[in-house]
Amino acid sequence: MRDYASPPLALMTIGLVMVTGVYLIAVMDRSMATLIGGGRWTLGDSAIGPLRSAALLLVQRRRVTERPDAPAWALAPALLTGLAAVALATVPIGPDTVATDPSTGFVVFSAAIVFVMIAVFLHGWSSNSALAMHGAYRFGAQALSFQIPFLLAMLATALPAESLSIVDIVNAQESLWNVVRQPLGLPLYLVVGLAVSFWGPLNLPDASDLAGGTSVEDSGVARLLWTAARAAMLLAVAAMGAAGFLGGWWGPWLPGPAWVVVKTVALLALLLAAGHLLPRIRIQRFVVTAWVILIPLALVNIFVSAAVLL
Amino acid sequence: MGLRSAFSHFAETAAVPVFAVAGGGAREAVGRLSQSPTVELVDTPAAATILLVAGSVPPSLNPALTAVHDAMPSPRGTIHWPLGADQGELPTTPSAPPIGPSADAADAIAHVFRALLSGAVPSEQPIQPNADPNPWRGIGPYGQGGSGMTGGTPYGRPMAELAPDRDGLRLDVLPLSVGPFFPRFPVGVTLEVVMAGDVVIEGRVTDSPFIGHESSFLAGPFLRALSHPAPVAEIELARAREHLRWVSNALVTQGLPALAMRVLRLAATVTPDDATSVTALIRRVRLLRVPQWSGAGVGRLAPELLPGLGLGPVSRAAGLREDARSTDPAYLALGFEPILGHASDAAERWRLRLAEASQSLELARRAGDRRTEQTGVVESPRGRLQAHDAPFQRLQPVIPDLLAGLEWGDAVTALVSLDLDPEEAGVAAIPSARADAA
Repeated sequence: MRDYASPPLALMTIGLVMVTGVYLIAVMDRSMATLIGGGRWTLGDSAIGPLRSAALLLVQRRRVTERPDAPAWALAPALLTGLAAVALATVPIGPDTVATDPSTGFVVFSAAIVFVMIAVFLHGWSSNSALAMHGAYRFGAQALSFQIPFLLAMLATALPAESLSIVDIVNAQESLWNVVRQPLGLPLYLVVGLAVSFWGPLNLPDASDLAGGTSVEDSGVARLLWTAARAAMLLAVAAMGAAGFLGGWWGPWLPGPAWVVVKTVALLALLLAAGHLLPRIRIQRFVVTAWVILIPLALVNIFVSAAVLL
Repeated sequence: MGLRSAFSHFAETAAVPVFAVAGGGAREAVGRLSQSPTVELVDTPAAATILLVAGSVPPSLNPALTAVHDAMPSPRGTIHWPLGADQGELPTTPSAPPIGPSADAADAIAHVFRALLSGAVPSEQPIQPNADPNPWRGIGPYGQGGSGMTGGTPYGRPMAELAPDRDGLRLDVLPLSVGPFFPRFPVGVTLEVVMAGDVVIEGRVTDSPFIGHESSFLAGPFLRALSHPAPVAEIELARAREHLRWVSNALVTQGLPALAMRVLRLAATVTPDDATSVTALIRRVRLLRVPQWSGAGVGRLAPELLPGLGLGPVSRAAGLREDARSTDPAYLALGFEPILGHASDAAERWRLRLAEASQSLELARRAGDRRTEQTGVVESPRGRLQAHDAPFQRLQPVIPDLLAGLEWGDAVTALVSLDLDPEEAGVAAIPSARADAA
């Protein structure tokens, strides 16, 4: 029998973690953009600027397009936020500190990732706009390509633990982190993680060549929610990367939860920097790379990991 | 104080989301504005609070300008920024007096923004009525059934139909018109495409709306050089800046707005003695493999299509020694040799423009007070420019072949790599006597 936090406590904790994490991502992203862009960085602007922009979106009146699929348009950001919350709920920050630790935590996390495709497609479909629909089409191709390598990279971490529980996967890294045990795992996970959270070079559905893609018609609260939901999904990917490959709470000197935060922030910094330094990858190149390189590499990773354990 | 007004008050000092329409003669000024930390240029009117109409906008673009205005969410405001041009009759009614020549545009925008949020200035009403252009005539309880439900053009858009795609399959195709204010293209470029999913089946760029429309570009150094000997140093510095601005726009297209901002800052301040800054930029862009990742094999133009077209970096990237500077004694005395490529794709055009930016700074540094000796034809950053004959019009016929079969992202990369400039086409159409007068 695994541990579960009481539902109100779990919801409150996850909500708090998501709000804090999304804010942290906004601050880090803005700071990186200012520094890389050669602008003058100030703590005040980086820390307060995102909040002011969010306040503006809160007072903007939502506009509608011609004949939108209104329920789906409203549902898409909520669905993506919910999926990020489900994914985050399975990430432990200590051996006994986790919102939910089902014996199949890995499966729960993977299911949340698979449904991201539905949320993004709904988002692109619902505004009845050509560029948004193109973004949705693109993500269809992207999602079909990233799901297998993503799940294989994650699945390899379950082998040393002999369990699908995320807590067990972290516990199995007490003596040796998976990033060392499976050197291919983390790079694969991060590449595909960018695709899952459609961020930076793999932000193909909301890309600049589509003037914003699936979010081209969003305004006001809808834009704020979608932006926050994307950031929450990036947070979930980074947090699971810290748990699955970087030993979660294991580490010297600092208390366990602090290590989880440090490792998650380090991965977030890496992912956000990739967003500012790597150009958008062409969808055709990504699809070919995923099927021809990433899936075979993920299979090699899982076979070698299994062989070492035997 | 209610929650809404508290949020409004807090948001008054946010970076102002501006959808900028950079009309004739306004591109450089809007580029400078985008460097202000108090302004954020956005890609879609849905994200904007302020519509900035800068420079001269041809009257034929008024319907599109109206649509952009009405697509902005409330609270919204419009600001006109003439930049010395006569803006004529615009469909938009500004929320404040036009920005004067000596005013700080970022301050003026922030002022209107604060007034909108505080309620001192009311949000603008839509210009057009919110009504279907083709009312739905279905008869069923869910609007289904009947005949001629939409008059064949639902909401002014044609229905998707079947056509063969690049693999010979018959798929749904959708005709689309992208522009004239699509953020990745200069104002006035309208791309008419037929898409099957993410693939362009056919596409063409419509004529420049600036043809026959007076533009502030008349004051530009390249046009001046058409009629009078001009300082080589001035021309080459302007060329380097234009190429750097192109690099900045191309970086935004590839999803790198922060790096693009750094390049734009460099473009605004670069001097002939800054060749090292440009060399460092070239090294960084190559290190990040931006041209290679985004443009290798994309937008390839067959070299046999190009001879005689004089398309500047586009021609030279195909290995053609076409450069009007090669016949100017002033440039020959400087030992000028055109830089040539061979791959004729978007990546090669990237490399060529970066190399030419560096070369132009070097020429500007060595030119002293030397002036051009050849008039009537000038090598603009986009190719051979003569009265009535601009690179934009010569590029138009090759675009359909270029776009057919490309995915949308590649099509945008390919078009951006051509550095289309409809405004230049307008200038070239003005009789040379007027150009002389300017």
